Amino acid sequence: MKILTTVKKVVDVELNIKVNDGAIVEEGLQYVINAWDESAVEAAVQMKENHGAETTLVSVGGGDNTDVIRRCYAMGIENGIHIEDPALDKADSSIFAKVLQKVYEAGNYDLVITGKQAQDTDSGHTGILLAEYLGLPCVSNVIGIEVIDEQHISVSRAGDSGTEIVELSLPAVVTVDVSINEPRLPQMRGIMMAKKKKIEEMDLAALGTSPDEVGAGAPKSEIIEFMESEKRKGGQKFEGDAAEITAKVVQLLADEAKVL
Amino acid sequence: MSYPLNDEQLMIQAMVREFARKVVATTAAERDRTKEFPADNLKQMGELGLMGMAIPPEYGGEGADTVSYVLALSEIAYACASTAVVMSVHNSIVCESINRWGNEEQKKKYLRRLARGKVIGAFGLTEPEAGSDPSAQTTTAEKDGDVYVVNGTKRFTTTGKNSGLVIVTAKTDEAKKHHGISAFIIEKGTEGFIVGREEDKLGLRASDTTDLIFENCRVPAENLLGKEGDGFKIAMTALDSGRIGIAAQSVGVAQAAFDAAVKYAKKREQFGQKISKFQGLRWIIADMATEIEAARQLMLSAAAMKDAGKNFTAQASMAKLFASEMVNRITGKAIQMFGGYGFTKDYPVERFYRDARVFTIYEGTSEIQRLVISNHILKDKRKP
Ligand SMILES: Cc1cc2nc3c(=O)[nH]c(=O)nc-3n(C[C@H](O)[C@H](O)[C@H](O)COP(=O)(O)OP(=O)(O)OC[C@H]3O[C@@H](n4cnc5c(N)ncnc54)[C@H](O)[C@@H]3O)c2cc1C
Repeated sequence: MKILTTVKKVVDVELNIKVNDGAIVEEGLQYVINAWDESAVEAAVQMKENHGAETTLVSVGGGDNTDVIRRCYAMGIENGIHIEDPALDKADSSIFAKVLQKVYEAGNYDLVITGKQAQDTDSGHTGILLAEYLGLPCVSNVIGIEVIDEQHISVSRAGDSGTEIVELSLPAVVTVDVSINEPRLPQMRGIMMAKKKKIEEMDLAALGTSPDEVGAGAPKSEIIEFMESEKRKGGQKFEGDAAEITAKVVQLLADEAKVL
Repeated sequence: MSYPLNDEQLMIQAMVREFARKVVATTAAERDRTKEFPADNLKQMGELGLMGMAIPPEYGGEGADTVSYVLALSEIAYACASTAVVMSVHNSIVCESINRWGNEEQKKKYLRRLARGKVIGAFGLTEPEAGSDPSAQTTTAEKDGDVYVVNGTKRFTTTGKNSGLVIVTAKTDEAKKHHGISAFIIEKGTEGFIVGREEDKLGLRASDTTDLIFENCRVPAENLLGKEGDGFKIAMTALDSGRIGIAAQSVGVAQAAFDAAVKYAKKREQFGQKISKFQGLRWIIADMATEIEAARQLMLSAAAMKDAGKNFTAQASMAKLFASEMVNRITGKAIQMFGGYGFTKDYPVERFYRDARVFTIYEGTSEIQRLVISNHILKDKRKP
């Protein structure tokens, strides 16, 4: 079984992100591997270990992605492809999905595992669009994968009213939630081996496509402006005995919050 | 950081940082209280490859460079100094000595187990009457056919109780002073090898420090490390590496104390403002950061010199001297910035303060480091 997993390098959203003039301030930003993709990588590596699958990862855009790809190598991924092209500067999910489609078609894969969403834009489109463009079955929000045989897998997904079990014939696309696994820390052995591995660097031409074909000339969606979300106002703290506090809170709820 | 780290070193640092803060740090305060040996941490560290970092892959290790090693060790020390000292003695003294001085059979027999953390190593040089002056040691090893009969007492052995093997120095020739000292690999369970009293210490409480007693302990002759008379040289070479490790422990603990103090200062209010707004504290913060950075650069340069195959004895002593004195100032200042809360066990800085105290003492006191450094400069081999 050949597995393709996708990895996006994203801004570390746990740090304070500043916005200036409708754009995110680049200075001081740190980049990490998208958490959902890290789970996708872990899922792929587990399938390699348990079922002898061959694992390839692809990362589109993101500039110098060496650190992210090497980390995935250190976790156990065998092959890495990085697609970078100036035309991808303003790429949206649809363009990413078109590029991934090309990668998929060049590689004869049985299963694509992507993260359910990326923690920078949180849109959750790419994996599903990829399946659409490829005309493959797709299950999203997957929290468990089991291999039935070389042609079939069974996945569990977190559905709206409980866990759903879906059997899929391959090839197929699944998008995974972070709850599917606890991604391993790379071991020293993996880190030391990762540096010796090559990363296949390609632009769109090398991939056998063009900016127009993937839609990069006219992105379907565009980010016009970033705005900082409104800061939560600090709460109020009351001290004293219970009776006093209760009276005070009731009074404030009535007079200030006007909910009573 | 100005010192250029390569991708691999950065990845190792990031991996160990994540492990140390997620796993090691969570039990550090509790183990400080209970003195429970960090066996779980060490087991996981063995799996991650942190217990044989410098051992070549053909003997089951990772073949990492010294820079990577000190980065990893600092991260472990950041989370738990007790775990770090075990890692330090195990890697820089025990694994490295066997790898450097051991013959093929010894390397095959011991390194793989050590590298996986299945066996923890210890090092017994110090004796009740021989601390700063190890040539005064009185433990003896007398050859008797195909064994050496070892007699004597070692003091303050890190992991004395929880280790599986110990490199022990003993005199094979009384007449030759330090040229008559040899080193042996002695396994736990060897007849006549007794773990003695365990120290009740100010800091590093989850790391056991014990006496080791040898009573007609019959050690197979094949466990002689190097040749007869190499023991002192083996110990001193090991300490050169070990000292970079103590610098790394110092940098790690100092960074932990510093981060805790800065975080606290940004939260605590007095006189109607955050205490971090007081110039009196801002200057302390600036000085602390500068001192830690200076120590880190010394540590890295000593490590890089070692990696480059240069003589790094003086550099290692400088790094150890400066970093260990530095961390004592930093942890003291961190408590000061916490005020009364820093003096309580509600915050970790009092533990950092206690743990750091021994760094200016073990693997050569600050005075001994100054002796090494000044001898190196004056080159007149002055007797202390
Ligand atoms: C927690 C802990 C763990 C340890 N782990 C190990 C271990 O794993 N293996 C091991 O072999 N040892 C270990 N040691 C021992 C440690 O290395 C010694 O304690 C240290 O070398 C100092 O020896 P001493 O305690 O006998 O002090 P002394 O040598 O008695 O020193 C007392 C004082 O005299 C000063 N002094 C001595 N000589 C001179 C001089 N020439 N000039 C100026 N001042 C001098 C010293 O600096 C010190 O201030 C450990 C110690 C501790 C506390």
